Amino acid sequence: MDLLQQLNLPLAEAAEKEIGWNIFFYSGLVFAIVLVFATLAKKDLKNRVFTSLPTRLAEHLYLFLEGMTVNVIGPNGKKYVPFLLAIWTFIFTGNIMGLLLQATPTADWSLNIGMAVITVVYVQYEGIKANGLLGHIKHFSGPKLGGFMILVSGLIFVVEIVSECMKLVSLSLRLYGNIEGGHIVRSSLDSIIAGVPIGGLLLPIKFFTCLIQAFVWTILTCTYLSIATSHGHDDEHEGDHGHQPALTEAHA
Amino acid sequence: MENIAIGIGLAVGIAGLGVGIGQGLAANGGLQGMARQPEAGKQINNSMLLALVFLELVFLLTFVLGFLLMGKIH
Amino acid sequence: MNKFALLGLGAIFIIIGFVVKDQSWTRPEMFAGLQLDLGKTITNIGVFLLFIPVINMYFYVPLKEAMDARNHELESTFTEAEQLRVQMQTLKSDYEARLIKTEAEARETIQNQIKEAQNLRQQLMSEAADRADALIRSAQAEIEQEKNQTIATIRTHVVDLTLAAAQKVIGENMDSEKNRRLIAEFIETVEVAS
Repeated sequence: MDLLQQLNLPLAEAAEKEIGWNIFFYSGLVFAIVLVFATLAKKDLKNRVFTSLPTRLAEHLYLFLEGMTVNVIGPNGKKYVPFLLAIWTFIFTGNIMGLLLQATPTADWSLNIGMAVITVVYVQYEGIKANGLLGHIKHFSGPKLGGFMILVSGLIFVVEIVSECMKLVSLSLRLYGNIEGGHIVRSSLDSIIAGVPIGGLLLPIKFFTCLIQAFVWTILTCTYLSIATSHGHDDEHEGDHGHQPALTEAHA
Repeated sequence: MENIAIGIGLAVGIAGLGVGIGQGLAANGGLQGMARQPEAGKQINNSMLLALVFLELVFLLTFVLGFLLMGKIH
Repeated sequence: MNKFALLGLGAIFIIIGFVVKDQSWTRPEMFAGLQLDLGKTITNIGVFLLFIPVINMYFYVPLKEAMDARNHELESTFTEAEQLRVQMQTLKSDYEARLIKTEAEARETIQNQIKEAQNLRQQLMSEAADRADALIRSAQAEIEQEKNQTIATIRTHVVDLTLAAAQKVIGENMDSEKNRRLIAEFIETVEVAS
């Protein structure tokens, strides 16, 4: 502590910065911004061609998420778009808010764990809905093995459960580390010369990070969903059929 | 106490070094693949981003470790 | 899942989060550096559970409906255009067929007319020939009749002359009635020579 205080490192300041439960004010702000955007976007929905900017952005967002689900999960992945839309808008709005305001819900690990819990639980819920409870549990035990190899299946089961928990940690930590790390770097740069916001130079790359983190969370959710909702052996043939047109298309 | 602070700095620095090299390799492979097969660019891009994300996780774990150690300084 | 169930669950989670806010187990000693607060986590689960159905109902559903409606409209417009094109094609082929039919009819009519005219001409010509024939025949008959009449007249004149001449030659005592008959009989026989 002495050393940190002697050097007057902003790292310590950032660590001591206490927002506490006021963070939910910022959560509400994210909520409000998204709702305002949705209201603006809904104005133009009646037109045959979407001309206003918010509506076009919303359309592009929808098409982007739909394309992602179709790419990663397959043609039946469109039903997961609502959840992904909620995740994406919340994270992206939070991240962008973090560029301008002093605190944001996505830069707080406690809140990110909450979102990760919902994501993982949602993936499990969809897996159970797609395969049934027994089929979903079977998913965890890897390929079918006979005889004494059942022990290996048990081992795989434990490993898979641990990896599910790691999903929780990795999802939340990734977002927290990227956003909060960016804030720390920015405040550190700002404090090199007092009164000159050098950290502002980082804004473009931080904006890019905001976009990437929202994208990463959604595409990881898609990947988890595609693993959880695949039907094991039956699905392999369907998958082949599904991939064949794409292959022929690529060759053509 | 000073030891812990120095340790945090070292840990983050070394992790940044390794992860930087690893992400550079991943980006190298991805970009080369995209240059050779521009029509598969989107798929390669997605996979490359996923790989980068998983590599970054190593750094983030170190980052969090640094925070955990900082809690011991208090 | 039911949206209202999600809303209720979110509210419950928020309440739980605020209830456990001040308890010590929500801040594990180990993660003090990261300022982990499980109360905040629980509350954020609630907030996000509220966020999902609200976004779904307020933003996603109208957007999806509008885009679906637009896509549907575009599709229907395309199919309509296709239908119109097909209709136009059938109309065109109909028209062409009718044109061909009309042409054939016109040609047939013209042929018929020509044939009729030819027939008429033939008929007229034959009629004219017939009439000419008839005229010639009647003229011949008239001439014949005139000739016969002239011959008869001449014959009576000849008889008269012969009688007068014979009267003068033979005298007055002869019965004129009887002589007349003799002469007539004679002339009858003579006629062959004329």
